[in-house]
Amino acid sequence: MTVETKPLPIIEVINLRKRYGLIQALKGISFSVGRGEIVGFLGPNGAGKSTTLRILSGLIPADSGEAKVCGVDLAEEEGEVRNHIGYLAENNPLPEDLRVIEYLKFRAHLKGLEGSRKRERIRIVLDICDLERSVSERKIGNLSKGFRQRVGIADSLLAEPRLVILDEPTIGLDPRQSAITRKMMERLRGEVSFLLSSHILSEVEACCDRMIILSHGQIVAEGTLQELQKKFVNKTIFEVVTCGNRIDLQRIVRQVDSTCELLQDDPVEISGKRRFIFSTEKGESLAEKILKVLLSENSLSLSEFQIARPDLETIFLRATKKNWEEQDLLSRRNRRTNLVSGRKTPNIQS
Amino acid sequence: MQGYWVILRSEMFSLFISPATYVASFYFLSLIGVGFRFFIESFSSTNWILPPLSSLVLGLIFGAPALIPFLTMRSFAEERRLGTLETLMSAPVNSWALVLGKWSASYLFFILIASGAFCFPIILSLFFPEQAKSLGFARFEHWIGGASFLFVFGASFTAIGIFASSTTKNQMVAGMLTFTLLTLYISIMAFSFGEAESLQNIDSPIQFLRACMGSLDDGLDKLQHFAVGVIDIGTILNQVIVLLFFLILSTIQVERLRV
Repeated sequence: MTVETKPLPIIEVINLRKRYGLIQALKGISFSVGRGEIVGFLGPNGAGKSTTLRILSGLIPADSGEAKVCGVDLAEEEGEVRNHIGYLAENNPLPEDLRVIEYLKFRAHLKGLEGSRKRERIRIVLDICDLERSVSERKIGNLSKGFRQRVGIADSLLAEPRLVILDEPTIGLDPRQSAITRKMMERLRGEVSFLLSSHILSEVEACCDRMIILSHGQIVAEGTLQELQKKFVNKTIFEVVTCGNRIDLQRIVRQVDSTCELLQDDPVEISGKRRFIFSTEKGESLAEKILKVLLSENSLSLSEFQIARPDLETIFLRATKKNWEEQDLLSRRNRRTNLVSGRKTPNIQS
Repeated sequence: MQGYWVILRSEMFSLFISPATYVASFYFLSLIGVGFRFFIESFSSTNWILPPLSSLVLGLIFGAPALIPFLTMRSFAEERRLGTLETLMSAPVNSWALVLGKWSASYLFFILIASGAFCFPIILSLFFPEQAKSLGFARFEHWIGGASFLFVFGASFTAIGIFASSTTKNQMVAGMLTFTLLTLYISIMAFSFGEAESLQNIDSPIQFLRACMGSLDDGLDKLQHFAVGVIDIGTILNQVIVLLFFLILSTIQVERLRV
């Protein structure tokens, strides 16, 4: 009998806390990232994403809690962590007066790469990030936002890191350049673990294996897209495009499921066909049953049937909504208590 | 000390490509050269008791507040303004190596410019060997003493500049702060200029400490020793303390930026 041992996660965070003066940026978050995984960090502004990423890259210390990156305890050897990771800071600050190749050489030296290994790694990262020779000879100050971002990513990949932390890697990029960044991550999938924060939900949806949603310094949701869909959206929505009328359609659907709801009273009409949107709490299997029944009804002449899966935006809004409401209630209660006791409230922002 | 040499090389490179460094060096050396020429010309009519080479050292020391800000103001202030300090600190390099690397680059550049100023007496010796000999330029110990005095003070002055640069994001503010701190430090030393403390007449522990280590306010006193080739360990120790004090402050300041 063989005992299957689970590989150690590349990131292990337990009850991490961080405070900036009056603001509690992280309120005891815990999560882990496996080897070769691409994990997206989502959350509204001020949720604590960048703080978490900065702590994990050894830039700032946490107030309490435990964080291990590549098996190294951040509290004990925060400097050692930087040997194993690549980090792209938010806004990607770069020296304006250096050429791309000079900058990468400087960073390679700083990361302890020398001689042929240095040359080889620079060649590889230039290739991965699609920075051809004509670009690598240009001054960073003269590059477009997209190329600058790619230079930052190339730098983060230089020392063959086991983990790459990208803070808003595609902010301000056009769709083509975002696609190049995604392609780069796809190319390294399985070899390198990625932890990235982003506001562009479609992008996270497209390239991440798993998502962690943060709000007010707390993790409000975590899992794969399917898991999050199941957790936050418990209704199945399906669209029916037909030439039939509303009353007939509703009658047939209700025969299968009496709880099924029609979401719009006035359906959208395009070239004689109408689009109806229904919702059911009984899952996709019921929607499929409804489809079978509708297909057997010739009078309806069904031309389209589609189960609409909730996107990450819907999940994100639902996951953070509850937290926002709680925070709002809490701050209102605080204000009221302070008004009653006549104290001046410290302005607590999140 | 991982990254020290890389930081040093990169800082030297950025100093070499910065036009501000060349402009400052040119004006500084020109003024020192003109001043030195007039001093040598009128040396016989002055009551300057030290070797004439010491006037060049003193000129460089008093001119340092105008030169050092140009060498140090960019180091941290520019990195902080651009945000590249964060990128730098995400690499496996510690704050101490970072501060030491930046200081070393500025200091080496200061030595380079000071060495340029020492070319004036060398040129004089080449073209007018007789006069140079009568002025004591042929005495090797005067050169060693003068250079040691200058390099020791240059080290602490550049450390002050590095500290000033680490406190702000604005290069101009860093430059002005360096100028102010150096002027203040030199003024304290110049106004308390007098007889150097001797180890022979010690009455109190404070006098003993002053004699052994020098003190903040009488560093310039020791020029009379250095000028004739007597290396005063107390002065060197004193300036090493100032140097370490400001380098440690800079490191703390850089570390503070992490939090």
